[in-house]
This record gives sequence, C-alpha cells and structure tokens, in this order.
Amino acid sequence: MSLVTLENVGKTYITGEIPVPALKGISLSLEAGKFISFIGPSGSGKTTLLNLIGCLDKPTEGKLFISGVEINLMNRKVAAQFRGDNIGFIFQNFNLIPVLTVYENVEYPLIMVQNVPLQKRKHQVLTLLEKVGMTEHKNKYPSQLSGGQKQRVSIARALVSQPKLVLADEPTANLDHATAYNVIKLMHEMKKEFNTTFIFATHDQKIVAEAEVIHTIEDGVVVDSRENKSFAGGK
Amino acid sequence: MKIIKIAWRNLLRYKRRTLLTSALISIGVTLVIVFGGIGNSFKNEVIGILTNTNLGDIQIHRKGYVSSIDNLPLDLTIPEQTLPRIEKLLSDDPDVKAYSERIRFGSLISNFSQTTNMRFTAVYPEAESATCPGLPQRIKTGDANPCTFIKPGWIVIPQNIAAGLSLKIGSDVVLVATNKDGSVNGLTLRISGISENILGPQGKDGYMHINDAISLLRIENGGITEIAIKLKNFDTLAKTYSQLKADLSQFKEPEAANPLTMNTSPNKQAQAGGSILEIHTWQELSPFASLAQIVTLLIIVIRIVLIFIVLVSVLNVMIMSVYERVGEIGTIASIGTLPSRIMALFLTEGLSLGLLSAIAGSILGSVILLVIGAAKLHFTFGMMNLMLAPQIPAGEVLLALISVVIVSLLASFQPALKASRMQPVEALRHV
Repeated sequence: MSLVTLENVGKTYITGEIPVPALKGISLSLEAGKFISFIGPSGSGKTTLLNLIGCLDKPTEGKLFISGVEINLMNRKVAAQFRGDNIGFIFQNFNLIPVLTVYENVEYPLIMVQNVPLQKRKHQVLTLLEKVGMTEHKNKYPSQLSGGQKQRVSIARALVSQPKLVLADEPTANLDHATAYNVIKLMHEMKKEFNTTFIFATHDQKIVAEAEVIHTIEDGVVVDSRENKSFAGGK
Repeated sequence: MKIIKIAWRNLLRYKRRTLLTSALISIGVTLVIVFGGIGNSFKNEVIGILTNTNLGDIQIHRKGYVSSIDNLPLDLTIPEQTLPRIEKLLSDDPDVKAYSERIRFGSLISNFSQTTNMRFTAVYPEAESATCPGLPQRIKTGDANPCTFIKPGWIVIPQNIAAGLSLKIGSDVVLVATNKDGSVNGLTLRISGISENILGPQGKDGYMHINDAISLLRIENGGITEIAIKLKNFDTLAKTYSQLKADLSQFKEPEAANPLTMNTSPNKQAQAGGSILEIHTWQELSPFASLAQIVTLLIIVIRIVLIFIVLVSVLNVMIMSVYERVGEIGTIASIGTLPSRIMALFLTEGLSLGLLSAIAGSILGSVILLVIGAAKLHFTFGMMNLMLAPQIPAGEVLLALISVVIVSLLASFQPALKASRMQPVEALRHV
C-alpha cells in the first residue's frame, strides 16, 4: 500500500533571477511500513525531497500525496497540523530544545501539538524513553547528553506521537561508527514495534545496507530504485 | 502552562541579558511610582494647606469679581436679597460641609508712627474655622481658639506685618479704608493674633470680625464679597461644582431699581449678563494650580519615558531572541507546532519579562515610598512648611503594571509575528 505518492514532482529555487532546479519530474510510490533510503551525492536533491515529503516545503511542479492527501493544497496552518499528526522528524543535528529536559523534549509534540491528556501523555513518554533506553536520563538537559543519547531522544520525540511516517535527514552523520550502528538498530526496532515507515536521506553506507528500498538521486532525478536484496531486517 | 514554563526557561537561558533588561524596566517602574507618590503627596499637602487655611474648596462671588480681585472691589458684592437663597442652597446641599461669608478689602494699617497696606478678610469666626479648619492652627501667637480667634474689635495680622510695625498681641492699630462710595474711614482695633505668612500674597493678609468691617466700610446692606465653601469630601469637587454652578445660574440680575446694580458701572452691568453670580474651584483661584498641573505633567512625562524604556528593552530582547533561535523555531514548526502557538510562545516571553520586572519595580517603589513616609521629611515650599508623607499610589502602581503589560505585548508582537511566519524549511537551515 502506497503511503507517499509523487507524480512528476519538481522543485525549482530562484537564486537571484536564475532558476535552479533541485528536483526534476520525480514519480515514485513509497510503501507503508518500509525502511526506505534515498542516497546520492551532496546537492543531488535528497534533502529537498525529504522536505517536500515532510510538508515543510511545496513542489513547484507535479503532485505529492501522503496517505492520499495532496500536500500542494495545504496552507501553513493545515500543513503544520498534518505534520504534527502524521510525520516525525529526526535531524542530523538532533535539534532538541535546549531549555527542556529529555522527558520534556519527548513530551513536547504531545502537549504543544496534539494536546494529549496528562496521564496518557506520561505513559507514552515513559514508554518511548524506555524503548530508546533513556529513562535514567529523563531529567537531564540536552547539553548533558552525548551525541548518541541526543539522537535517541530525537528518535523518541519523532515516534511519541505515533506518526505514520518518520523522516530522517542524515541521522548518523554526527555520530561515531558504533553509536551510529546502535541508532540504526534502534530505528529498526522502533519500525517493527510501531510499524512506522522510515525514510532516510543519507550518505551512510551502514544505513543504506539496512534499507529495504534504496532510491538513488543524482542531479535532482531518481536514477535508480531497487529492493535491497542484502537487507537483514535490522539484525 | 507549558508555554509559560518554556517562555520562562528561555528568558533564563540568557540570564545576564534578561537581568539587565528586567533591572532597567524595574527602575523605570520604581521611578514612576516614587515620583508619582512624592509628587502627589506634595500636591495634596499644598492643596490641603491652601484650601484648609484660606481658599476653601469652592468660592462664590458676584459676577466679574474674580477678574478684578487684585483691587478687592467693594462694589461687586453678592446682593443682600440673594444671600438667604444662597445660604439655603448651601445648607441643603449634602456635599457641602460648611461655608463662610466674607468681606474682603484693602486697608492701610498704622501703629501711629508707621503705616503700611494690607488685605483684610472679614469673617464670622465659627463659620470661617468650619470652612478653613487650618486657619486657627496657623495663628502662632495669641488666641487660636477656632470659635474666638476673631472677636469684634480685634484683628489677626501676619508675622511680616507684626515684625515690620513692631506689633505684639494687644497692640493698638488704626485701619484706614476706602468704602465703595469712595469715602475714607478709620477704626482703631487691637491685635489678637499673629499668624504664619501663608495667608496671602507677600504675607499681607489679615483677618477681622465681619462686624468691624461693616463699621469700618460703613456698609448699610449686605456687603458680602465672597462665600467660601468647604466640601465633606474633596473628591466630589467637580460634581458639586457643576451642581452649584447650575443652581447659581438661576440667580438672575435683579431689577434695575436695585441700588447695588445701579451703583455698578455700566461696563460691569453688561459683563454681568444673565447670571448674577460666578463660582470657582480652588484651581481657578490659586496660582498653585498651574504648579500642580506641571507636577501632573511631569508624572505623565515620566510615564511616557517608562513606556519607551519598556518598548525598546523588550523589543530588543525579543528581536535578539528570535534571531538567536531561528533553528529552534524551525524545529518546533517542523514538529507541527501551529504558527499561533509559536507566536503565543514569544508573546508570553515578552509579557513575562515585562510583568515580572514591573512587579519587582512596584514592590521596590512601594518600599521606597514607605521608607520616605516613615522618615516624615519636612521641607519649606515658599512660605509653607510641608511634610512629605507619600502614600503608595495604588492607581499609579496599577497603571504602571497595565502599561508595562500592554507595551511588552506590543513590543513582542513584531518579533513573535516574525517567528510565527518563518518557513520551517528556511529556519532549519540555520541549525
């Protein structure tokens, strides 16, 4: 079943008076419940594509559907609500809110976006913190955590609102080898646990190896899409 | 609740900047409250002295009298036949505590070897001390009894005159005055009291019994030039004034046969027009009213300065805050925080900064006023000895708090709007 559908999607930025195409005529169908990776060199358009799928930006050409909803037609408020209800984000730089503790960072989407009642909220946050192994650090601030710990919190925050889709832009780029491996393993576990679709933009061969589906982008065009035959299922 | 918590933590993130800004706003609020308290205390003290010792709260005169008051004209008197009606009007008015009928005139005073000029107010002592209860208290030597401080045959003179003419209690003096017909008469009187110099211009105002004035000025009928009124509650001044003014407008010019009117110059008759009387509050009779207005104006200026301090301080902090947190704004927007919530977050930050600073400033200002009040500071203003007894101006505190809250919100609005309108994809690039 297709979760994300792109129909001839293009994105062109205007730099001064010069149009710079970042994506050109991309047509794809991304299935639900998969571990999907977009790979390609820097400047190929991976992040732009993730921004479009994440409703952070709008295509200048074509149509983009998520769960059957055309995102081109959304205004800022509706797009924000849609993101809050359906999409989780994991960032390269973790992007935790520095004035909030680990617990509060994970709680943030539930309280500021979804208005989940206190008891339910507490249960969801503690469950996620336990799953990512951060329960004992729940009262720490982001500045007191290592990179790997921050990314674990970031994963918990992305999953706490039980989104259909999690987008991760270079999630292991700022992590050492061992930590990156653990984070990927954790994301696999979360995918299995919550049946969430994970879409990555990455250079990291470790992630590529763990992806079920790999799309290669070059110069704004998807040049290759393939199933990962060596996919080990996160083991 | 969460927004307030996040806003508060964001403020504490930059402790030094927040503290400096907060201190600036607090000092501004403190200044407004302290200056407001002291300024109002000074005004109230002086107004109290003026109205309680000399002017009363309101005065009634024959129309045209106040514009000629420097000459103390004896031909612009309140017609005798209207006096009972005015007395009834004042007696029936529930806001009027007391009133005093007066004859005011200029006179020469002589100690038989030296002569100088004075201004006299002739009164009935009980009515005068009920209307101006502070007057007997300002008699520093002699009889200061409110019921007897003026007796027929005796006068009260100010310290300046007593010193200049070497007069003491019991000294005889001769008063020489011109009556309304232009003839001159003299009367020997005795000094019963010497007052502080507060009472009139250059400290040359004296008091005598109204019967002596009638005798000295050879008044046959009426002759009252002024009625001073004391209100039960000074706060009802405007209301009572308006009511009395409306009532007194019914007192029309008497028939042409009235000798009082006939003796009035044609010019003054024309000036009199419809109503025969005029009414003034103390503000219209005392030059201090202008000074009081200047004090009020200064308080307003300080309030405006405070508003600018708050505006610039909060605006500066909030603009900095938005620019420093562009990436963070991108993060919370991408997570799904609605633009209205992002705006509320920044507005709450600005509001918290302003409100807490204003509360701190209010407390500090109130404490300073309490200390000044407890110290009971005395100072001299002109010829008046005043005590600085400021009270905490509740209205001023409330106004400062409300102003700071409103201005903080206004100052935060533009940065908050900017934050709420940021495109998440653009903002995330700043991480």
